[in-house]
Amino acid sequence: MTDPTPHHDGAATAGARPAEVAIRDLTVVYRTEHGDLPAVSHASLELRAGEITGLVGESGSGKSTLALSLLNAVPAPGRITSGSVEVAGVGDVTRLTGRRLRRARGGALGYVFQASQNSLNPLKTVGKQLLDLGRSHEVEDLRALVRRARELCERMGLDADRVLDSYQHELSGGMRQRVGIVLALVLNAEVLVLDEPTTALDMISQAAVLDIVRSVHRENGLATLVVTHDMGVVSEIADRLAVMYGGRIVEHGPAGELLRRPSHPYTRALIGATARIVGDTRLARALPGQPPDLTTLARRGCVFRDRCPLAMPVCEESDPALSEWTPGRFRACHADPVGRAPAPAAVPAPRAQDDPTGGRP
Amino acid sequence: MIEARNITRTYTGRGAFTGTRTVHALRGVDFTLPRGGAVSFIGESGCGKTTLGKILTGLESFDGGELLVDGTDLSKLSARRRAPYFRRIQLIHQDPYSALNPTRDVGQILGDPLRMRARETGATRTQQRERAAELLELVGLRPGTLAKYPHQLSGGQRQRVVIARALTVDPEALVADESVSMIDVSMRLGVLSLLRDLRERLGISLLFITHDVATARYLGEGGELHVIYRGQVIERGPTDSVVQQPVHPYTQCLLSAVPVLRGLEEPGPDRLVPLAALDERVATPGCLFAPRCPFATDGCADGRPGLTALPADGAHRHACLHPRARRVVATEAAAVH
Repeated sequence: MTDPTPHHDGAATAGARPAEVAIRDLTVVYRTEHGDLPAVSHASLELRAGEITGLVGESGSGKSTLALSLLNAVPAPGRITSGSVEVAGVGDVTRLTGRRLRRARGGALGYVFQASQNSLNPLKTVGKQLLDLGRSHEVEDLRALVRRARELCERMGLDADRVLDSYQHELSGGMRQRVGIVLALVLNAEVLVLDEPTTALDMISQAAVLDIVRSVHRENGLATLVVTHDMGVVSEIADRLAVMYGGRIVEHGPAGELLRRPSHPYTRALIGATARIVGDTRLARALPGQPPDLTTLARRGCVFRDRCPLAMPVCEESDPALSEWTPGRFRACHADPVGRAPAPAAVPAPRAQDDPTGGRP
Repeated sequence: MIEARNITRTYTGRGAFTGTRTVHALRGVDFTLPRGGAVSFIGESGCGKTTLGKILTGLESFDGGELLVDGTDLSKLSARRRAPYFRRIQLIHQDPYSALNPTRDVGQILGDPLRMRARETGATRTQQRERAAELLELVGLRPGTLAKYPHQLSGGQRQRVVIARALTVDPEALVADESVSMIDVSMRLGVLSLLRDLRERLGISLLFITHDVATARYLGEGGELHVIYRGQVIERGPTDSVVQQPVHPYTQCLLSAVPVLRGLEEPGPDRLVPLAALDERVATPGCLFAPRCPFATDGCADGRPGLTALPADGAHRHACLHPRARRVVATEAAAVH
C-alpha cells in the first residue's frame, strides 16, 4: 500500500511467453542405508524465456539436486522418482536416455557448474575442451564453433586467444567462471543454469560475473536459472525468486515483491538475517536452530516448523502444499498469508523501483 | 591494546623462467586496536589482508615496522619471549571444516588448550572442565556438544567450537579472517552476532578481515574500517563514515559491487561498473590503483599518494589525488513487511 504502481519485475512477462522449462511435481530421492531420503519433494517451477529465476536455499535444501534434474544428471544414489521436466524443443528430460540426453546436455541446456574450476579438465587447454564439446555434439563446422566461442569470450571481457590456449590453473576464479559460461552457451543454449556462480569469488569479480550473466541473458533471450545461497546475488539479478527449504519450494514469486513482502516465515527470516549495507544493523536477527539435512528432515508435517515463529499444531500433522495465495505468488505455509500489518515506518520511504536495467550505467 | 606501525612484508619468489619476482604483501600498515575496539580490513583476494592476520597472530613474520602489544615491541623480542604476547591474540580460522581435528571430540578440542593454559593459571582439572562447559554455553552450544566429533556438527556449530577454542586461552583480541564465508546463510548472522557480543560484553577486541563490506559493517560498528589495496591502506576511518561517504574510487568500486536487495534498496545513482580483474604484477611508481581506476589522470602515474585526512573529518583519511564523494551505496527504499 506504500506503492500503488504495479510492479513490473518479471510479472509483466509472465503469461506472455510460454515456459521454456516446466518442472512439474518433481521428486528426487537418495537411496541410503537410512532408507529413501527425499532431496527434492514435489517441486514445481517454470522458467520462461527472457526471465532470470533465482533459486535460493541453504546447503542441503535440495537446490543443486533440483538444478541437476534439469539435465537428468542427478548423481547416484539419487534418482528422479516422479514428476517431469519439460524443456521446449527437447521434451521431458527425465525420460531421455543415451544419445538424445547427451545432445540436450550442453546443447539446448547450458549448465555452469558450481565451482567451475573443478568442472574444467586440468589436462587440456580450454580450446581443446571446446573442440571436444563440439565433437561430442556432432558439430560439423568446428571453425564456426571456435569463432562463436571467441565472440563470447570477447563479450565477457576475456582475451580469447589467451583463454583458449590456457589450462584451467592459468586462469583466475572469475575467468574460469566466465569460461564456464562460454562453454555453456557456445552451442546456442536456450536455457542457462548457473549453480552458485559467484561463491568462490570476491566482491568485485562477483559483480563482474553478475553483470555478464545479466547481459548474455538479455542479448540471447535465455531462460536463466541462478542457483545460490546468497540472497544478495539473486535479488541483484533475478526477476523471479524461488525459495527452497528441506527439499521443498516454500515460496516463489516476482523478486521485488517477494523481498518487500515475504509471505513464508523462512523467507522473512532469511531476509532478516542478511547483513546489509544500509539500515540499522541491530534489526538483523539470526535464525534459531539448524537447517535440516536429509537424515534430520521431518518425515511428517512442515519441514520448517522447528525453526518457525508461527508454528501451529496443524504444522506437525500436514505438509503444506505450494499454492497461489495471490495472483503470481506461491507459498507453502499453513499460517495466514497476509501476515502482520505493514510497519508504519515504511510509509515515508522513497518508492522502490524495480529497475529492469539493473541500475548500472 | 595492539598497535601496528608501518608494518611491511615483502615476498621474493624465484620462478623457473620469470626470474626474481617481488610481491609487496603489505606496504606500511598502521592501525590501533584498543581494548574492546574493532578494526576491519576489507579488500579483494591478493590484497594482503590474510598476511596481516597471520602476522598479528604470530604465524607469519614481518620485515619492517613495529607491532606493539601494550607498548612492548614484539619485533625486538626473541621468539620465546614473544609467545606469551601472541597467546593474547587468537585467530578464528576461515574454514571451520578444516580447522578442527576430525579424530578428537569437542571435549578434547577444548581440553588440550585449557590444560596448557592451566600451567600458567594453576586451574584444577575440575575448573578446566567447568571452564569448557562455560565456554560452550558462551558460544551458544548445548553441554552435550562436548561429546561430539566435528563431523556431527553443522558449519555454524563448528565455527562456534573454533571460537570457544580460541577463548580457552583468555585472549584479549580475536582476529577473524573471513570467518563466516563457509557457513550456511541462516547461520551466519548467529556467528557474527556472537562475535559482536564477545566484544560488547567481554571487551574482547576484534580485528575482522573480509571482502564483504556488509559483514564488516555489522561487526565493525563503532570501530574503524581500513580498505586495503595491493598491500596499501588506501582509505580508512570510522566504519560508518567510510561506508556511507567513501571518497577513494577503489572503495567506491567495492561498495558498488555489493549486491542490491531490489525492492528493499535503491542502488546508488553513481554506482560504478565492475572493474577488470586485479593484476598484481603491474608495477607502477604512482598510485597503485591508477591502472584500474576509472577516474585516473596523468598525474596519478607519477607519485604515490599517502594517507591524507579529509578536511571535514580528520579521522577519515584517504590516499587519492582526486578524492570525490560519489553516491555509490544503496539506500533503503522500503522496509520488509
